Amino acid sequence: MGSNTTEAHPIIGNKIKKAAKSGLKVIVVDPRRIDIVKSAHRHLQIDVGSDIALMNAMMHVIIKEGLYDEQFILQHTDEFEKLKNQVELYTPEFATHITGLSTEDIIETAREYANAEKSMIAYTLGITEHHCGVNNVFDIANLALLTGQIGRLGTGIMPLRGQNNVQGAGDMGCLPNQLTGAASIADEEYRKRFETTWNIEISAKIGDTQTRTFERIGEGEVKALYIIGENPLLADVHMNHTRELLKKLDLLVVQDIFLTETAEYADVVLPAKSWGEVDGTYTNTDRRIQRVRKAVEAAPDVKEDWEILCELSTRLGYPMQYENSEDIWNEVRMLAWEMYGGISYERLEKEYSIHYPCPNEGHPGTKILHAGFHREEVGGKVSSFVPVEYTSPLELPDEDYPFTLTTGRRLESYNTHSQTRFYADGVKIRQKEETVDIHPEDAVRLGILDGSLVKVSSRRGELKVKAKITEQVVPGLVFMSFHWSEVPTNVLTLNEFDPISGTAEYKACAVQVEPVLDQ
Amino acid sequence: MGETTQIKTVCGYCGTGCGLVLDIVDNQIVKIRGDKAAPVNKGQTCVKGGFAYKYVHAPSRIKSPLIRKEGKLVQATWEEAYNLIADRLSSIKNDFGPESITMFACARTTNESNYITQKFMRTAIGSNNIDGCNRT
Repeated sequence: MGSNTTEAHPIIGNKIKKAAKSGLKVIVVDPRRIDIVKSAHRHLQIDVGSDIALMNAMMHVIIKEGLYDEQFILQHTDEFEKLKNQVELYTPEFATHITGLSTEDIIETAREYANAEKSMIAYTLGITEHHCGVNNVFDIANLALLTGQIGRLGTGIMPLRGQNNVQGAGDMGCLPNQLTGAASIADEEYRKRFETTWNIEISAKIGDTQTRTFERIGEGEVKALYIIGENPLLADVHMNHTRELLKKLDLLVVQDIFLTETAEYADVVLPAKSWGEVDGTYTNTDRRIQRVRKAVEAAPDVKEDWEILCELSTRLGYPMQYENSEDIWNEVRMLAWEMYGGISYERLEKEYSIHYPCPNEGHPGTKILHAGFHREEVGGKVSSFVPVEYTSPLELPDEDYPFTLTTGRRLESYNTHSQTRFYADGVKIRQKEETVDIHPEDAVRLGILDGSLVKVSSRRGELKVKAKITEQVVPGLVFMSFHWSEVPTNVLTLNEFDPISGTAEYKACAVQVEPVLDQ
Repeated sequence: MGETTQIKTVCGYCGTGCGLVLDIVDNQIVKIRGDKAAPVNKGQTCVKGGFAYKYVHAPSRIKSPLIRKEGKLVQATWEEAYNLIADRLSSIKNDFGPESITMFACARTTNESNYITQKFMRTAIGSNNIDGCNRT
């Protein structure tokens, strides 16, 4: 669901394609006819942002036809009645009007998901980058709990992570509400453990998300921002607004490998070592800890992220000193031992990768996280269903802005493109610049030729970009990526956010597309 | 041309976590292959992981600290940069409290650097205002 797997996660895409050839049934839920659809047994080409209507209708069918796992629900879940009431309204016919899908497709998908011996749902940002992103994820969990498709090999919920260590960064505690080991900052006992080792009192007050930070800069409450290896000016929604906020700060520090668009606004820029120049570990999308190794020497005046922070911390009166990355990792293992205690560098040399939780050296690691669901334990923790309601995208197309713009990634480029500008010689790149992908019917109607320049505008900004005519999109829908600073797509996007996660609605806003006559 | 050495590592782009073997000559990455022994990718790579590595050696990398002086970013020493940041952070913390300082961590850097990032924020600064690009 909402995963352009072959472009954003090509190796996982390869695995899915190969498995499809040996009989795996793949159902692709995506508003665009993306490449992975070629391997699909069914493509549910839903209207942007209508996932909850689809999933609620699937659960309606599963309940009505008695395809749910009654034993599993009794033993492991709570609030089943509440879920039943919520999805009662979502008949396939009702969902058809919202999603644009046929009732047959909805019913068949529900039956197949529930009846298969093993079903898994993999999803990416097409699920989370909505104002209802958290509700979308709740509904995926509702489906898995309803059918017991979780905690066994080949089942479960698989968020495909877009960045090499986004899982690890959160697990390490780079979140406003979590300490290292993914434990809540509000957990007094856990906090105490860190206070003792760090020899300092830790604030129990939950901090700000990135989204909230931008609001508080606007309100004049945040005065200093320190950014490591990130380019929010180009990557975040409503770029013209972000730029004004960065200018408002008393101090902006950017630590990066390139002078990014964001760094141009900094008061101080610190040069960091990059991948290939450092030792350490990453945590991948399925919780594997793996070793990254230094391959080349960095330039003499460039320093590693942790080294910079330790030196700065010492100057601020809290001395920090470590020999190397292993020294730091051993502190992590000691503090968050339930997760990492058994994952030593020495073991990683021998075993290549270990899945956390791995509490001690004798533990093999945990490949399946929720296996506890299938053990015959009495009085274990139950998981609550969280029924959710469908809400439409916050900015729908209208007369002035008649298209829906949805955004994403392209195969050969990565995020704000500061790294993928530098390919090895001789590599043939298909997409060298940004395009707005538009359906042939719309192009003909508006007199737009393939490769011709068009103006795309929203209530927040406008840009000029070449058109790419393609049947990947449907009439009324256009697609752009956010890779190129020359065509900063996020001047168009909407600054509306999920109230719980703070994730922006990148996947839907209303735009106008017009040919540029004077080319 | 010097000798070729090989280093095993993990790809730094998406979250799949493919194992790679890097060929190094004269302190430059000259070739990348998928590591056949890697449990995730068993020797495969995608176009980004296999070929988009030249940024490491790009001449446009920042090679020294930069400080804004009279509106322009100019080259500075680490000492100057550290002193400026430490002075400004201390006075902002004094005047407006630790909640007026925020940090955005990096989802591309190592677990070790991320651990130190949040430790820095929670100790030297004293606030939980730390988040990452995991929401974007």
